[in-house]
Amino acid sequence: MKRQSRRWYLLAALLMMVGLALSATRTAVRAKDSAPLPLITGRIFDHQGQPVVGAHVTLKSSSEGEALAESDTQADGRYAISLPATIPDSLTIAIERAHFKLTNIDLDVASINNLRNGQSVVIPDVILPRRISLAFWIATFAFIGVLVLIATGKLHNTLSALAGAALVFAVSYLGRPIYEGFFIFDFRIGLSYVDWNVIFLIMGMMIIIAVVERTGIFQWLAFMAYRVSGGRTWLLVFILMVMTGIMSAFLDNVTTMLLMTPISIQIALALGINPLALLMPEVMASNVAGISTLIGTPTNILIGSYGKISFNGFLTNLTPGVLLALVGLVIYCEIIFRKELKTTSAEEIPTILLEKLAERARITEPNHLKKAGWVGAAMLLLFIFGERIHLLPAVTALIGATALMIWIKPDIEEMIEAVDWTTLVFFIALFIVVGAIQEVGLISFIADAIGRLMSDNLLLAMLVVIWVSALLSTVIANIPFTAAMLPVIGYLTATVPGADSKALFFCLSVGSAMGGNGSLIGASANMVTAGIAERAGYPITYVYFFKKGFPALLITVGLATIWLLLRF
Amino acid sequence: MSGIVCAIRGGPDSQPTIAQAISLAKETELPLNFLYIVNLDFLSRTASSRVQILSAEMHQMGEFILLAAQSLASAQGVTVQGLVRHGNVREEIVGLCHEIGADYLVLGHPHPSREESVFTHESLAHFTAQIEEQTGAKVILAESKREAR
Repeated sequence: MKRQSRRWYLLAALLMMVGLALSATRTAVRAKDSAPLPLITGRIFDHQGQPVVGAHVTLKSSSEGEALAESDTQADGRYAISLPATIPDSLTIAIERAHFKLTNIDLDVASINNLRNGQSVVIPDVILPRRISLAFWIATFAFIGVLVLIATGKLHNTLSALAGAALVFAVSYLGRPIYEGFFIFDFRIGLSYVDWNVIFLIMGMMIIIAVVERTGIFQWLAFMAYRVSGGRTWLLVFILMVMTGIMSAFLDNVTTMLLMTPISIQIALALGINPLALLMPEVMASNVAGISTLIGTPTNILIGSYGKISFNGFLTNLTPGVLLALVGLVIYCEIIFRKELKTTSAEEIPTILLEKLAERARITEPNHLKKAGWVGAAMLLLFIFGERIHLLPAVTALIGATALMIWIKPDIEEMIEAVDWTTLVFFIALFIVVGAIQEVGLISFIADAIGRLMSDNLLLAMLVVIWVSALLSTVIANIPFTAAMLPVIGYLTATVPGADSKALFFCLSVGSAMGGNGSLIGASANMVTAGIAERAGYPITYVYFFKKGFPALLITVGLATIWLLLRF
Repeated sequence: MSGIVCAIRGGPDSQPTIAQAISLAKETELPLNFLYIVNLDFLSRTASSRVQILSAEMHQMGEFILLAAQSLASAQGVTVQGLVRHGNVREEIVGLCHEIGADYLVLGHPHPSREESVFTHESLAHFTAQIEEQTGAKVILAESKREAR
């Protein structure tokens, strides 16, 4: 019964996605087929220079007169109005859009004469001023509410985001008949804020990970690290940190730590050392190195999709900085954990533990691992070279996941179970909530304020973005924070001289991910690691994590800042 | 059947519990059953879809933790076995006590400074009374000798 219902859920989700795609295609075709010859055209932007979509443009004989012709702005903010048969002596264009002030533009006599002579008229670009309505405060409340609910743990992350999305839609639909100012956006516009590139990329990677994590490769690698280190714990820490870092660059950090933590605890127990001396360096390395690729963290996936930064973009602009930060982190960890890394004498360690450890370290599904390796390599090539043919990372992930499933023919129900639908729903709902604050203009006001503060200074902008996002990421969930910051960074990228290199997007990536090391709640990987360690009798308290993690934040973010300043 | 059940989760705080259980087993000559319970409730907010894969990993980690305790007991001539169960801590302890007709249940005392202890002092007192009534096993609480970090 449970399996049957899961099938229906999947089918419904697929149909919904196909429906969305078809509807988008149909709209485009319809617009193309029925587009009349434009006689009055123009473009409408907001204060940040972003096109205003869906503004209703009406041609009138005067500001109070009746409508002669109408049009809506398209994705690029462009509109085109076809004229009536009789052109009156005066013409006014009225521009209406929720959350913007009503703006009237009177056409001059020369333009009207041109129109009468059959010539098209191009109206200069219009900057539409924002209007703060009740909807502004409701959307702001919904967003802050989601952040608070996530931070306090009162509700599950996904439920928090869903509650926010439900609130903005409920207020829009139920409140609008009572008072127009309640309206935030309709369902269609709300969904337009969902970044399907992000959703499909995460889903594809989840399927690949689900196959790889069942092969035993992580446990085998950890055991090999133990073997290679030959009992030298400083070397073991170094190898495990590098290994975790590399894994995190290609897998999400939570999965990496879920698989590395239990085996690391066993290695530590076999060596007679405190497991936290291995786990803390590992999770911090995971948070630092995860951002070296596009697919390493959800925040990078968000940043890459919004900022149109390719896989290579992250590799060339962030990986060297990550390596530098990782070197600093390794040295720091070797120093602060030196006491905990002192082993019990070999005679005191029961041989049976070492035997058990060796017994565990085996590849359980070598055939699947081999196939996953080939598919992974092909995907890596597509990620690297795909940008030349405009291949989206989400498409590469989907192709790779599907190819792997066809090749190894796994239990499809298991694969579907392995996809973290709660996370995907979280992202969809979060996009809608962030879309709401974008729609009502909160993001614009923040962007304006930050823009004024930066006063065209790229260096200052970089420092503020890195350090503010790093410090905020220690107390608020970095995914909603990053999602909300993206339009702000987009605005600064467009306005601050020199920022068109996308430097500020990389600063956001560094800050939001490395900031996770500052506190236990700074990253999901920290929470998962602490949960497992606590169940082995080695609790990681908030204070303990802060004492070890915050200096690591200062070191790694500091080193990454140096790299970014040199690079840009 | 009869015996001693000793629920542990590893770490330094479990050492007094293990030592007390071994000492009791030697004294009573009853077989000792170390119990490790895999409980993944902490994943519900962060990685709920990973329960299946982590469950297997935690099972193996539990076996490893038990192995260390078992080797300690065996070295002192105690008949010992390790059991890993999955689910609610209280229910699994009661279940095992019923299953083997336990005479004694040895538990760790909640650490005064630790919020994450499975039992608080109050709930432990209630649980102790409940388990003694339900299973007839005598509950022994081992004192933690470690200072709070």
